[in-house]
Order: sequence, then C-alpha cells, then structure tokens
Amino acid sequence: MALSNLPHHISQQFDKELEDIRSKVLAMGGLVEDHLQRVIEAFAKGDFEQAEYVAVNDYKVNALEVEIDSDCTEILLRRQPAAGDLRLVVAVSKTITDLERIGDEAEKIGRLILNVGNPTALRSYYVGMLAMGHHVRRMLRAALDAFARMDSQAALRVAQEDRDVDAETDVIMRHLITYMMEDPRSITPVLDAVLSLRALERIGDHAHNICENVIYLVEGKDVRHLALEQVKQELEASHAAEE
Amino acid sequence: MAVSAKSEHDRGTGAWLRSGLPWIWLTAGTVSVSLVMVVGLLALIMLRGMGHFWPQDVAELTLDSGEQVIGEFADHETVTAARVRALGIEVPEGQEFVERYLVKTGNRDVTGTDFRWVTGVHLAETRYPEAVFVAEREEWGNFYGFVEGLREGDQAVATGGDPWPEIRARMARTEELRQRIRDIEKDEMGAVNYQLEQLRLRTRALELEEAAAGDPRRAAIATERAALDARYEALAAELATLYESIGRDTLIARTSSGEVRELPFAGLVRLFQPNAMGIGDKLLHYLAKATEFVSDEPREANTEGGVFPAIFGTVLMVMLMSVFVTPFGVIAAVYLREYATQGTLTRVIRIAVNNLAGVPSVVYGVFGLGFFVYFIGGSLDQLFYPEALPAPTFGTPGLLWSSLTLALLTVPVVIVATEEGLSRIPRSIREGSLALGATKAETLWRTVLPMATPAMMTGLILAVARAAGEVAPLMMVGVVKLAPSLPLDGNFPFLHLDRKFMHLGFHIYDVGFQSPNVEAARPLVYATSLLLVVIIITLNLAAITIRNRLREKYNAAEA
Amino acid sequence: MTASPEGAEQPAQSGLTHGIGAQALREGGSRARVEAHETCLEVRKLNLYYGAKRALNDIDLLIPTKQVTAFIGPSGCGKSTLLRCFNRMNDLIDDVRINGEVLLDGHNIYDRAINVAQLRRRIGMVFQKPNPFPKSVYENVAYGLRIQGVKSRRVLDKAVERALRGAALWEEVKDRVHDNALGLSGGQQQRLVIARAIAIEPEVLLLDEPASALDPISTLKIEELIYELKRDYTIVIVTHNMQQAARVSDYTAFMYMGDLIEFGETRTLFTTPRRKQTEDYITGRYG
Repeated sequence: MALSNLPHHISQQFDKELEDIRSKVLAMGGLVEDHLQRVIEAFAKGDFEQAEYVAVNDYKVNALEVEIDSDCTEILLRRQPAAGDLRLVVAVSKTITDLERIGDEAEKIGRLILNVGNPTALRSYYVGMLAMGHHVRRMLRAALDAFARMDSQAALRVAQEDRDVDAETDVIMRHLITYMMEDPRSITPVLDAVLSLRALERIGDHAHNICENVIYLVEGKDVRHLALEQVKQELEASHAAEE
Repeated sequence: MAVSAKSEHDRGTGAWLRSGLPWIWLTAGTVSVSLVMVVGLLALIMLRGMGHFWPQDVAELTLDSGEQVIGEFADHETVTAARVRALGIEVPEGQEFVERYLVKTGNRDVTGTDFRWVTGVHLAETRYPEAVFVAEREEWGNFYGFVEGLREGDQAVATGGDPWPEIRARMARTEELRQRIRDIEKDEMGAVNYQLEQLRLRTRALELEEAAAGDPRRAAIATERAALDARYEALAAELATLYESIGRDTLIARTSSGEVRELPFAGLVRLFQPNAMGIGDKLLHYLAKATEFVSDEPREANTEGGVFPAIFGTVLMVMLMSVFVTPFGVIAAVYLREYATQGTLTRVIRIAVNNLAGVPSVVYGVFGLGFFVYFIGGSLDQLFYPEALPAPTFGTPGLLWSSLTLALLTVPVVIVATEEGLSRIPRSIREGSLALGATKAETLWRTVLPMATPAMMTGLILAVARAAGEVAPLMMVGVVKLAPSLPLDGNFPFLHLDRKFMHLGFHIYDVGFQSPNVEAARPLVYATSLLLVVIIITLNLAAITIRNRLREKYNAAEA
Repeated sequence: MTASPEGAEQPAQSGLTHGIGAQALREGGSRARVEAHETCLEVRKLNLYYGAKRALNDIDLLIPTKQVTAFIGPSGCGKSTLLRCFNRMNDLIDDVRINGEVLLDGHNIYDRAINVAQLRRRIGMVFQKPNPFPKSVYENVAYGLRIQGVKSRRVLDKAVERALRGAALWEEVKDRVHDNALGLSGGQQQRLVIARAIAIEPEVLLLDEPASALDPISTLKIEELIYELKRDYTIVIVTHNMQQAARVSDYTAFMYMGDLIEFGETRTLFTTPRRKQTEDYITGRYG
C-alpha cells in the first residue's frame, strides 16, 4: 500500500500541494544534512569557518520549518485530507520538527566548537566523535531516503541503528570523563565536548523519530515507544496479511 | 433594378416569417378573438337582461288616421316601402324606405295582441302624458290606459282631484289580502293536503295487506282524517271570505281607443305611472322588479313574475349532484391510482373514463331515463311504495334521478382531477408516513387524501360548471316547465327527492321558444340567462375560494 | 493489520467467484465483527435485485447497538438501498427481490410472520429531504402515536414535548407548536422529522442523508443531535459527506457497486483503510 503508486487525486491541485510539501521536506532535510556535514568537518579539520557558517545559517532551517508548517496547516484547512493524505501531512508536520531540532543541535555543536577556539584541543577531545558523527549523518540521510521512497523496511533498519549510536555515545562519554579526571583544567572544554556528544546523540534520536514517522506514514501504525522487535513483527504480520 | 427590389422584398417577408413574429400574432389573435366573443356575449346578456326591469316611458301616439295608440317603444326597423305596401299599408309615392316602430300596447284582453307595428309615415304626434298608467296583471299581460274612476262593491268612490292616494291605499289592502290567501293556499292547505295524501296512502297500504275491517289502524286513520277534514273546512271558509273581500274594489280605466274597462284590484299586481316617475322612483321600481324576479314564482306561463323555483331547483340539483359525484369520483380515483396494479387494464379503464366525458349529454339523459327512472325507480316503487301505484313515486323523472344522471355525466372529470392530484403528492410524504408505522390505508386516509383535497375541489368545480349548464338530459329525467311545489318544504321528510323541479336552463329554453308570447318574453330570456351565468359563477367562485384556501394550506409540501 | 480491535478476519470463502465481492470476502473486508458492542442488526448474505439488476451483493454486516454506523460510498453504490432494507422500505418499489436475512433481536425481518408496520415502529427512518406533513408541528410529532391509537391529550402533550426536546427543537418551536410545520426552516423541519421519528420510541433510527439538503449550521445542529441521540438509539446514517461520516459515526462501512468493501471503526477506516478502494474513495482519488 505504498502511497507512490496511488492514482492521482480528482483534484490535480491537491496532488501538487502534497508533492510540494514532500519536496520541501526533502529540501529541508538536505539543508540540515549539509549543516551536519559542515560541523563534522569543522571538528575533523579544525575548520572554524564551517562551524561559524552553521551557527549563522540555522535561521534558514527555521524559516523552512515555519513555511512547511504553514503549508501543512493550509492543506488541513482546505483539503481535510484522509487516510494516506492525512498521514502524510501529519508525518511531514512531525518530521520537520525533528529536522528543525537536528538543525538546532548542529548549530549548538557549531557554537561549542567556536568556544573551544583552539584546533589542538579540538582535535584531542573531538577525535572520538568523528566516526559517530559520520554514523549519525548516514542515519539522517538514510532516514530522508526512506521518507523520499516511502520505504518502511528501510526506515525500520535505520531506526535500529540508533541503538549503535547510543552505545557509541556511552564509550565516548567514558573517554571524555577520563579526560576530566586526569586534568581538572580540561573540565571546561571537555564539558563542551560532552554537550556536543549529547547533541550528536540527540540527532540520532531525531533521525530515529523520522523513521518512525515514515513507518506511520506508510503503514498507518504508530510505533513510537515500542520495542523495535515488536515493530518489526507487526510490519511483517501486516505485510503477510496483505499478500 | 426591379428584380433586385423584388428579391429584397422577398427577403423581408422571409425574415419576418422566420423571426417567429407571425406565430405570436396568430396565437395572440386567437386569444383575442375568443376573449372578445366571451366578453361580448356577457355584455350582450347583461345589457339586455338588466334593462328588462327598467320602467320605460309610455307614449301616446296619434296616427294620421286619428287613431290613438298607447304603449312602449319596443323595437324599430327600416324596411323597404314595397314590403310595407304589400302588407296593405299606404306609403307616399317616391319614398323608398320606411321606418317602422314596434309598440308594446298591452291590453291583450281588448285587442288580442300585445304588440303592434306603427309605420313612421303615419305617425302624426307622439306625446308622453303623465296621466297614463301601466297595470301589471295576474292575467292578460300589461294594461295601458288612463284612470277613470274607482268602485268599492257597487258604489263609486269619490276621489276628488287625484285618485292615486286612494288607489295606492286600496292596492296595499289588496296586497295584504293576497299575501294571506297565498299563505293559506300554499302553506296551510298545502300541509293539510299533504297529510291527507299520506292518509290515503296508508289506507291503500292497509288494503294491500288486506287488514281486517276492524283493524285499529283504520280507526286511527279515520280519526285523523276527520280532524284534517275539519281543518280543511275551516281554511276553506276563511279563504272564501278572503276571496270575497279581495274582490271588493275595482279600478275603472279607459284604453287608448276610449273603451272603458273594469280592472278588479284582485287581478292587479302593480300599478304605476312611468311618465310621472322621477329617476329615484324608477330606481325603486327597478329594484322591486328585480327582487320579484329572483324571489317570486312565475306567472302567465313563466313569462311574468319571478324565477325563484328555477333558481332553487338549479342550485339544489347541483348541490345534490356534488354530494353524489364527489365520493364516487374520489373513491374511483383512489382505487385507480393507489391500489390497482398499473398495467394495461388500468390504462384501458383510464382511457374509457376520459372518453366517458365526451359522450353527448343527451345520451346520459336517455340512459338516466331508462336505467334510473324506469328500472331502479320502478323497482323501488314496487318494493317500497306499492300503495301509491299505479301512480309512480320514484318511477318517474325527479330530482334524485336528475342529480344522479348529472353525477354520472361529471364523474370522469372528478376522477381525472383527483387522480392528477394524487399523483402530484410527493413520494417522500407517503414514505414519511409509512416509516412511522402507518399502514397504507392509514397513510392514505390521514395524509394523502387531505393533501389531494385541492385537486378534488378542482374536479368538483369543473363538474359543477358542466352540470349547472346542462339542460338536455334533465328534460328527460326530472325538469319540468312548472313545478307545483319546491323539492324542499316544511312537510316531512322536507327534502323530496322524488319531486320534479324547475331549472334555469330549461326555463330559458321554455320561455324563449315555447311561450305563447315570444316577443314579450325575449327580455326575460336574457335576464334568466344572466341569472344562470351569475349562479354558475357564484358556485364556482365559492368552490375556487375553498380550493385556494386548501391549496395554501398544503402548497409548500407540493412545491 | 490485526492491531485494530475489530480486525479479526473472516476466513476465506470458497465458491464465491464473482467480482469484487468475492475478493473482498476473501480478504475479510465485507464482514467484520464488532466485538466491543452488542449487535443490534445483523445482515446475513443479503442480496437485492432491481428486476434483473443486482444492487446488493452478499452483504454481511453487524450493526452495533447504540452506536452510530455510517454508510459511505459513491452514488449508486447501494448504501441507501441497504439502509432501506432495514425497515423494508424497498417493499414499496415494484420489481425488487430480496434474499438473505436481516436479523433484529435474532428474528429475520423478512420473515412472513413479521408485521411491517410494527417493524417500522421499531426501526424509524428520516429521509434526505425534510418531509413534514402539511399539518401543525404538534400533529406531525403526534402522528405516529395517533396511528397507534393514542388519544389521551395528556399523553400526547407529554410525548410531543419530549420528542421535540429530544430533537433539540423544543426551545425554538414551543410557542408555535400548533402552527403549520411547513413554516419552519429547512433545518428545523429536518429536526422536526427526527422528533416525529423518535416520538414513537424506536430502537433503531435510520438516517438517509439527513443533512444533504441543509445549510452548514443546520447540518452541524443535526450532527450534534445525532451525537445526543446515540445514547438512546442505534443510529445508521447514509451520507455523501465523508467528513460528516468521520465526524458523527463510530463505525463506518464503505460500499462500492453493491459490495460492502470495508467496515470498521471510523477512526481506523479514515486514517488507515485496509482496502485500496476505500483509500482511493476517502482521499478523493476515486474516478
């Protein structure tokens, strides 16, 4: 029951409006992904310019969120969508909130990097986070891909990766705590690094949420706060029923 | 050049034809012609009919032969001199056309005719003397002449200069007496006679069942009869006195030819001097005459007096017909529309019903006579009125059979109109009622039929319009020239369905074509026609008012 | 899809091969058990023919007691026809043939022994166009009771007031109950007709597009009324307006070409319909 192979609405205009918010969400996702990429580069290479860019340009993400949100409201008002259409609008509405949060987290990391101000310190405290950053970025991209292709299986796979991220966070956290215990002077920059780490972990959570939205959009099931195995079982059951 | 002009002209005509204007003119023209004819007819009837009661001036004509003629101008025409000469009337040489006047001279008892022609050339002088008077009489038509004197019994009455106050006083007295005589003859003696007839029938019934001579019922009848006989004697005695009293006064009058006639007051209906009357007097006279026309009984073979029995008969017959035709028509329509399976059979019946409306009314008359009067009426007499035989009770034309025949004649109209009304009631109303747990009959009775009443009224209006104007079938099944009594009176059972009755339509025919004095009756024909039209319009307006009120009540549901 | 409470599937039917109906049956779309509520009306393998044309195909359906069930679907899908089967209004139409069963309290209403007038007293109906009788408001409401032979003025007065209050019309007409009902506005007329129907205290109220001829405010009043009436009556409503079905109903049945395509809880049917036809119809992709 993938939405993409549904016939057109009687109202072509409605089709266009739905298509419009979908592509805007993808555009917003692209923008957020770009910001995330930039902060990762910033602490990978000590590139403060990139960090500054992200810190300054977050308003674009916010603006997009406001715009898409108002589009959703308008569709609800004008079209009173039902079934798949309704789920699309609801999923978009939730997804852009998650994207905006991801944008905020990226901005926060950018500002924390600018606080450090010293490329050497940066490299020593943030080096552990590099792999995790890439992982989170891949998750975000995969989540957006799942959204674009309305692929609940892919979304489920991405959602499962969130657990790896959480595990990685724990490892890095212990690492950073060791730094603080070793050298009390490092407490201030390391705390910043902890905050960045927490931000990356939150980004992973939001990517996970986006995947849940995709599952809701495609399957009509609200899988929040369910164990992933349970989600997986349900999806398989309903697919089996549909066959 | 000429050719092009012609083609242009053709184009003009063609364009005019294509524009559709000719159709508008044709249709509008047809409507106008119909309208003009109807309005013209009504205007003619009103003019002629309403003028009849106006007191015309009476002229005293002096012919060149010295002869005196008194009378009203009734008509005039222009004829060729040759024709007049052929009648043996002298006309001066060289005159080609002659004016002739028809003068209503009255005094049929003197001259043997009511009218005479006066040729214009022989008319020496025309005067309108105030002293001339007109007397409307019970017999012999009008009298025109001059008052000579007054007699009471054998004694001449001194009147001094003006005899009229004395004459009026005596007219009033005579009128009083006449009223009393009429009361006794019509009501009191009529009632006694009716009861005597009933007694006779009861006696006959006893004979038929061969009751013993000592049957107590015979004694009872004898006692009753004795009482009635005594009452009759008393009334007869009173009547004799009254007749003596009313014959006391005599008016002595002189005709135009100088002949002196005695006019007993008892035979005079109305005395007046048209030439001496002002407009106010004439108006009063007019109103009195018009009132007499609608409220009195006819005199002199229907050519004088009123037409009240005919009005009464017409209205009563139409009402009875309505009472018969409405339930019949409505029930038939309800069956056809609501219960019968809609198929070929119902369609055939419907067509038959519609065609029934096209059968000539005389045929209905024949049917009514054969079926209702002879078959049903004859059987009824055999079963219920054997004591009256061989005199028929219902086995003779009468009010009941007339109403039934006309009901039969008009029932298709009611059926068609009611069916139409039933079919217009929206299905949602019926479903609404059924959905509340009503059966089909309950739905019909409580909702559908009340909503169809405007349509039923429309049917009834059409039926009344047709029935009130129908004469031909009635001549066979109950209408007579002169009915001795009204079908509704004070004797039990009050409504006498077996009686014959008078009818305005027949009255018109009778007065116009069967009366001994057609000339004199012509204005009366117009007046009666006017009355008939007014009555039909009144009946219809009443029905239309009721219908509109009903329609207002139910309209929104139909819309 | 087993997550929905009423989603227990009907086992696949064999021997049914015609069109969508069979397919729907196999997938359990046309019959669903409403386990959360008692059953008021049960439709079993109901077929209806107009002459040779089949208008309803093997309908199986359970109508839950004191809930609002909505029938939706495109024009001519048979939803009104199905509704009219419940109080045998289709009997009035010539050429209609029905087989199958509709059970009310376990008795088939198409049984020969059933008195149709009695049945219609238990299953009231309100039509698309307000159809008050051209009588007073009072007489309209008292009509059904008078048919039942109620004559007592006191009883009628009470019943009329109760019905009018029940239809949320009393406050508007209490001063003119003896005026002609045709003088009321369209919305008031429709509520009057509802009052007329509930005056005889039926068990089931069938509403055939009750608001389609009304303005939006009157429509909302009727919807509010339906909400109120749910407490006492089982309501089945046919509507063209999907939003209306979504607003007022607890259960929704989607019909298409004489088949019951999908039946389920309204909130489920309107967010995650199981059948593609349903999805297409409610999202406006139909046609």
